Amino acid sequence: MITTSRRARLGWNIATYAVLITLTIFCIFPLVWTLLTSLKYEADIVTQTMQYIPKRITFDNYVAIWTQSGFPTLVFNSFVVTATTVVLCLITGTLAAYSFSRFHYPGRGVLMLGYLVIRMFPAVLMIIPLFILMRGVGLLDSRFGLALAYTSFLLPLFVWMLKGFFDAAPKELESAARIDGCTRLGAMVRIVLPLARNGLVATSVFVAIAAWNEFLFALMLTTSQGSRTWPVGLQLMVGEFQLPWGVLAAGGIISIIPVMILFAIVQRTMVHGITAGAVKG
Amino acid sequence: MSTLTLNGVRKSFGAMDVLQSIDLQLEDGEFLVLLGPSGCGKSTLLNIVAGLETPTSGDIFIGDKRVNDVHPKNRNIAMVFQSYALYPTMPVERNIGFGLEMRGVEADTRKRAVDGAARMLQVDHLLDRKPGQLSGGQRQRVAMGRAIVREPELFLFDEPLSNLDAKLRAEMRTEIKRLHNRLGTTVVYVTHDQIEAMTLGTRIAVMKGGVIQQLADPMTTYEKPANMFVAGFIGSPSMNFVNGTLARDGDHVVLQTEGREPTTIRLPRVAANLDGLDGRQVVLGVRPESFSAATGDTADLVGTIDVVEPTGPDTLVVLAVGGQTITARLGPKLTVSTGETLGLTIHPDSISLFDPKSGGRIG
Amino acid sequence: MAERMSALSEQSPSIWRRLDPAAALGRLSESRYWMYLLLVPSAILILAVVLYPTVYGFQLSFRQMRLNRPDLGTGFVGFKHYIYMWSDKVFWLSLRNTAVWVTFAVVIEFALGLVAALALNRNLPGTKIMGVLILLPFFLPNVVAGHMWALLLDPRLGVVNDILVRLGFLETYKAWFADPSTALGAAILVEAWHGFPFFALLLLAGLKGVPDDLYKAASVDGAGPIRQLRLITLPMLRSVIAAAVILRVIGLVNSPDLLLILTGGGPGQSTQVLSLYAFQKAYKDFNFGYAGALSVVMFVLLMVFAWAYVRVSKVNQD
Repeated sequence: MITTSRRARLGWNIATYAVLITLTIFCIFPLVWTLLTSLKYEADIVTQTMQYIPKRITFDNYVAIWTQSGFPTLVFNSFVVTATTVVLCLITGTLAAYSFSRFHYPGRGVLMLGYLVIRMFPAVLMIIPLFILMRGVGLLDSRFGLALAYTSFLLPLFVWMLKGFFDAAPKELESAARIDGCTRLGAMVRIVLPLARNGLVATSVFVAIAAWNEFLFALMLTTSQGSRTWPVGLQLMVGEFQLPWGVLAAGGIISIIPVMILFAIVQRTMVHGITAGAVKG
Repeated sequence: MSTLTLNGVRKSFGAMDVLQSIDLQLEDGEFLVLLGPSGCGKSTLLNIVAGLETPTSGDIFIGDKRVNDVHPKNRNIAMVFQSYALYPTMPVERNIGFGLEMRGVEADTRKRAVDGAARMLQVDHLLDRKPGQLSGGQRQRVAMGRAIVREPELFLFDEPLSNLDAKLRAEMRTEIKRLHNRLGTTVVYVTHDQIEAMTLGTRIAVMKGGVIQQLADPMTTYEKPANMFVAGFIGSPSMNFVNGTLARDGDHVVLQTEGREPTTIRLPRVAANLDGLDGRQVVLGVRPESFSAATGDTADLVGTIDVVEPTGPDTLVVLAVGGQTITARLGPKLTVSTGETLGLTIHPDSISLFDPKSGGRIG
Repeated sequence: MAERMSALSEQSPSIWRRLDPAAALGRLSESRYWMYLLLVPSAILILAVVLYPTVYGFQLSFRQMRLNRPDLGTGFVGFKHYIYMWSDKVFWLSLRNTAVWVTFAVVIEFALGLVAALALNRNLPGTKIMGVLILLPFFLPNVVAGHMWALLLDPRLGVVNDILVRLGFLETYKAWFADPSTALGAAILVEAWHGFPFFALLLLAGLKGVPDDLYKAASVDGAGPIRQLRLITLPMLRSVIAAAVILRVIGLVNSPDLLLILTGGGPGQSTQVLSLYAFQKAYKDFNFGYAGALSVVMFVLLMVFAWAYVRVSKVNQD
């Protein structure tokens, strides 16, 4: 915004910093507090006078959650489910995004809208029949079944985001490749996919974070330790064992570390991908 | 032998005709320019020749082989695109050699071919770079290298110079002409720039609304445009059009202009085909450079100077003549100013007459 | 890789070409229906795992299905569930709570998101990192977000209570989630924290698309910052705002996750919302028929809202 006088501009600058610092604190304070809690002794958490900066630090809480519960299994299950989801999305979603981005054909608009409308179906309405269905085909309480469910409702986002990245590659590239001797598939695999690799990574990370974090489907569709993911496991531990705050905080911190790392790596490309669709549409 | 033959090529999207029955025959070594405003169908026609789009009906022959159902890679063509379409992930060397690589040409043969093409286009010092590290002109050269290395039967250019600035464009224009002289390969070249068309083409096909308006060599297109569209599209400043009625005045044929203040323009003595047109309504077309300043009785027409624009080599003078506007390109250092009256003569043999209804050429 | 193989095989005998799957796929890609073929894998997945269950769910809402009472069978019961819903007090309460929950959450998130986006869009030195940190909550899992705030707002050792008492806003620690009058409000605060970065993200991208010249012109014409916001920024952002609001409302109505973790609908039914009620009917009571009916009603209401909202924002455009 352009303001005419220098004093007014200074005022706005100060206000801007004030707003941003406040919002940043609002956003990360819970995170910082949880981290601090996870490093405190239980006695220092449950005290009369609040300890803002811990007087002593311990990693006991981390050791406890990692060794005295099924947490490693939960995390491993989550890894498997997330990886499977990403692979399924990459295979099916990349093809669909490519079709929407590169070709114009009758029904394309309707199909694209159809892929988007799926997002509006309530999870709860879907989850019950899915439970019955998965039980019928033996996929209930399996990591693959859960990944299948995740893929289906993450696909629309994946396709729309990736389409934006594909759109950025000029169509003349495929024309050139076809004249040079590629088939359509060859032009896609050899020319367009390598070019869109940042987009592919960012879109995959977005889907991976969503799958890693998902709670509701996992709660409904897994019933045993063999396939249960960490969000469900953590939640159930809170209910069953009256988990001490320090241990719970440690579990929370462990489980968001992968999210933070992935977010940090592809933050810029991912943000670009998420916003492109909404701003254009 | 003809390199490219199009028989009744049509293309429609739904009810809209993008191309209406195009017939064309191109001899070996010709340089055909498809010229027209955007949306005239010239790029669609080029894509159909390349095999990137399929015609709705009609036949395409390259050599004497019908190629309608032949994959682009097997048509023995090479194409240069407006955006260059260099593969961003590959270095220049691989970009140029990619077509050969896809055809299974051995590495050393490929290397020799790539080096040769790169030297010819003076990009041999850039072979290790990625396209993103090149300037616009360099990318253009690499794109041409990629086309010539394959030694195709037919080159297709799709507005290859539109993304360059004016100076580079002129340079590359010369380069393309030199290349064509040297290689002698047949070229189809799409552009909307009439100067490129005039300078490069051995023939120009001026297109509008999916129809070829005129197919002729550049000078014919310029001097004897087939209709008012072609006349107006080629040449800058555009050809002057004056509406009026032909009449006879002694030895001369004159044009009695229409408009608020009708006046008379004396037409130069030209071929006999003006006889018998007395009383006919026409549009007179005269190119700006076909005028020269005159005094007294020798003037064919007289007008009031509206604007004077010196360009350096010559002076553009805009005149009001009988309520219509005429632009004349006159010599440099002309001492005239706004509001004065100026007489002009029209060079013999340099007028066009069009039918006001159809826009077609009369004589 | 695949392409190199097919290029190789083109010079090999034709029998080998026929056996090479990469070459076969390459030939398939030249078919006229390639663009449709590309959609087949994803379409099959979506049909099987989304569309079929959803249709099944609609049908379920007209049937009896209680997994823990197999003696009742799974017969067709017509509108029984819908009629029961009409007299179900909890349904009406959750409907009201859903409206409150969604309205307040969206308004607060939009306001915070707009402020954040406007501030970030000024591109002052050092604010880039804050832009990244502000986005962070959006990517954090509900489960962790819920427990973090449960810890912060804990009635005995919550740091928020401590700060508020020290600052004199509170006399004693407060049990935010145990008090029916504050539970929903506290949950909305957590949701706002979790969701406002989404608005900030989209609005910031929208702001970047507003040409600078517009602000320069407005400045020259003498419009101050507030008027520029009202006359230029907000109208230019209309489509982005519409998209963001629709997406957020859908998300808020459909997913009971956060409330499930924070309160489970309690205390009493004071934070019960439609999606959570339906989920609990299915997950706790195994009453799939009634849960299905609840979700159908929710879906229909959501559709009506989306339709009306799109219409209203279109009408405004003219």
